[in-house]
Amino acid sequence: MKKINQLLIISLLSLSTFAQEIEKEKINFNGGFESNSQWYLNDNGLRDEFDNPTMQPEQPLRSNSYLFLNFKYKKWSAGIQGESYMENALLNLNPKYDGANVATYFLQYRNDKIDVTAGYFYEQFGSGLLFRSWEDRALGINNALRGGRVIFKPTKYITLKSIYGNQRTGFDVTKSVVYGADTEIILSDIFRLETYDVSLGLTFVARDEKTDIVNPNFDDVTNAFAARINVNHDSFYLSSEFNYKTEDAVVQTPGIIDNNLIKPGNALLLNLGYSKKGFGIDASFRRLENMSFFSERAAKGNTFNDKIMNFIPSLTKQHHYNLANIYVYQPQPNVSIADVNFVKAGEIGAQIDVFYDFKKGSKIGGKYGTKVALNASNWNALGGTFYLFTPQDYTTDFFGFGKRMYADYNIEITKKWSPKLQSIFSYINQYYNKKFIEDAIGEVNTNIVAAEATYKFTSTQSIRVMGEHMWADYDKKNWAGATVEFNINSKFSMYVSDLYNYGNDLEYAQNHYYNVGGAFRKKSTRIALNYGRQRGGLVCVGGVCRFVPESSGVSLSLNTSF
Amino acid sequence: MKKLTLLFFFTATTIFAQNSLPDLSLTTIDGKTVILKNEFNEKDKLYIFSFWATWCAPCINELDELNDIQEDWKKEANFEIIAVSTDDSRTQKRVKPLINGKGWSYRILLDTNQDFKRALSIVNIPYTIVVKNNKIVHIQNGYVPGSEIELFEKLKTL
Repeated sequence: MKKINQLLIISLLSLSTFAQEIEKEKINFNGGFESNSQWYLNDNGLRDEFDNPTMQPEQPLRSNSYLFLNFKYKKWSAGIQGESYMENALLNLNPKYDGANVATYFLQYRNDKIDVTAGYFYEQFGSGLLFRSWEDRALGINNALRGGRVIFKPTKYITLKSIYGNQRTGFDVTKSVVYGADTEIILSDIFRLETYDVSLGLTFVARDEKTDIVNPNFDDVTNAFAARINVNHDSFYLSSEFNYKTEDAVVQTPGIIDNNLIKPGNALLLNLGYSKKGFGIDASFRRLENMSFFSERAAKGNTFNDKIMNFIPSLTKQHHYNLANIYVYQPQPNVSIADVNFVKAGEIGAQIDVFYDFKKGSKIGGKYGTKVALNASNWNALGGTFYLFTPQDYTTDFFGFGKRMYADYNIEITKKWSPKLQSIFSYINQYYNKKFIEDAIGEVNTNIVAAEATYKFTSTQSIRVMGEHMWADYDKKNWAGATVEFNINSKFSMYVSDLYNYGNDLEYAQNHYYNVGGAFRKKSTRIALNYGRQRGGLVCVGGVCRFVPESSGVSLSLNTSF
Repeated sequence: MKKLTLLFFFTATTIFAQNSLPDLSLTTIDGKTVILKNEFNEKDKLYIFSFWATWCAPCINELDELNDIQEDWKKEANFEIIAVSTDDSRTQKRVKPLINGKGWSYRILLDTNQDFKRALSIVNIPYTIVVKNNKIVHIQNGYVPGSEIELFEKLKTL
């Protein structure tokens, strides 16, 4: 409390000084505010698999709020973010987010050649497989580094970056140190290639964490290297990245550092595509071997994504239907040598997308056009030879396809029938191996059908109706769902939705997850109010997921910028 | 008490807000680096930055609509639309086939680690800002069918 007041007084004082400067129009000031509040309620009707009702947590009223302020003066800028989690953070967020405090701050100098930051900063090298610091409030991720960063652009076609710092965890930072460098060179500019865009990148990242383990068989410092290339030529493009992480102790269970299984890691990413007007095809292949990277070894696999250093997205389609987001793939970069049926050294797989537009006026295209999107992905455990008993060990094969973990085949057809009416139809088929993805039991096969239509009444009034159904052969089995969204005008919208797990074998767990809510928008402000039930499970953004428990209640969210 | 002070803090700050285009450099879809304030600085021209992602259906609806009508509007106002993709490395590879497939004529910026989005405190997309002489003169948070008509009416007054 004391801290907060001090912070507020200091900020207000500095603000008033700044405000005077603003009148001279020398200092530029902007910022944003976001608040997500939830009032959890008891709900006797919402039963879990053991027939327990849903009970509110000890502090039923919780709120996550973020205030960001940014000041700019000539080539200098400074920013500060305050965060408050009262009383406590929303359910199942990292418990280290507790109370209110200053979360991040920075001071930055930038001109066209050089950019220097001291304080907290966000950065990504290449695709992020070795290093990415970012913020995702919905997932409770903010793994900014606190330290320094220098970006230097000696010419138009070379960018050099170097970073050094401790990673943020809750309102604190880790003891371990992360440092690294990255360079990107645009070759096509150097060699004045007219029809090609070619760029190269090189990355180095290191994590230095002193270990408590007596006689460790690994070094405190783990180094990682990557090289990448990007080529565009007319309608074709290609990119590839190879990452290598030096030997380090393997962590199979969060918190347990295995001093007898010391392994390097690597990742290969390959992407190819071709696109022209009305047609596009894109294919990605990825092989990950022992590739998760945390700023502290023992943090590996923690459920809050705390101390995560790299970004390993799931290369599958991000569906916008509710039922297609029940069985969501999470990438499996880690080693597991648990039993004969549960061995992996990572993952291997691919994804393909095809987009095609049937022209307006053609037979299938109709008067207003028809669009088709096909997507397929398949991910297997990375296989090889595994030695289960002491000492545990493994060797991998390059194309080591172990047990299948996930597959998704889907098609989406969008058709505009008239200037007022548009519809989308989707079919999705998924395979989900609970053992490998959740360390639970069983395999689920699903078939999902979804259809939606949007109809415009007037220029700003419209309605969207969506229906979906999932057939699943295991776990919670069949579901049906519907959503109706009504846009009253450009400022107000309302919606009502229900997901019904009517196929659940446990009769008491055949729950309805109903929700009703509304949103108001004006300029930079959006306010949304919702009442209903939250399905327990994974909330995922970009393939990084957070588990949320079942809950029932009222939520209010507000965001604005100024 | 804490909430009250926060609220006070918040209102106190809004009074002095005056927003300019953040000082950032971003990558274009062709891999070129552009410095925002140098690239979008034609005097009195309106630059409309529309923040979107390949997985965001309302964003794509908005950009589809704008693409269809922008030529008509250009007869009445001097503006350019820039589509800022906030796709992270999960979906960034879909940007190119998607925009080519749709035949959008926008300049595309890649905000892969969301520096631009964060600098403007954007929480949800779609989110659209209008910039004139390096100052943000209008913001539209969200999109519903028809928002583009209001946007155009607004453009004529800026």
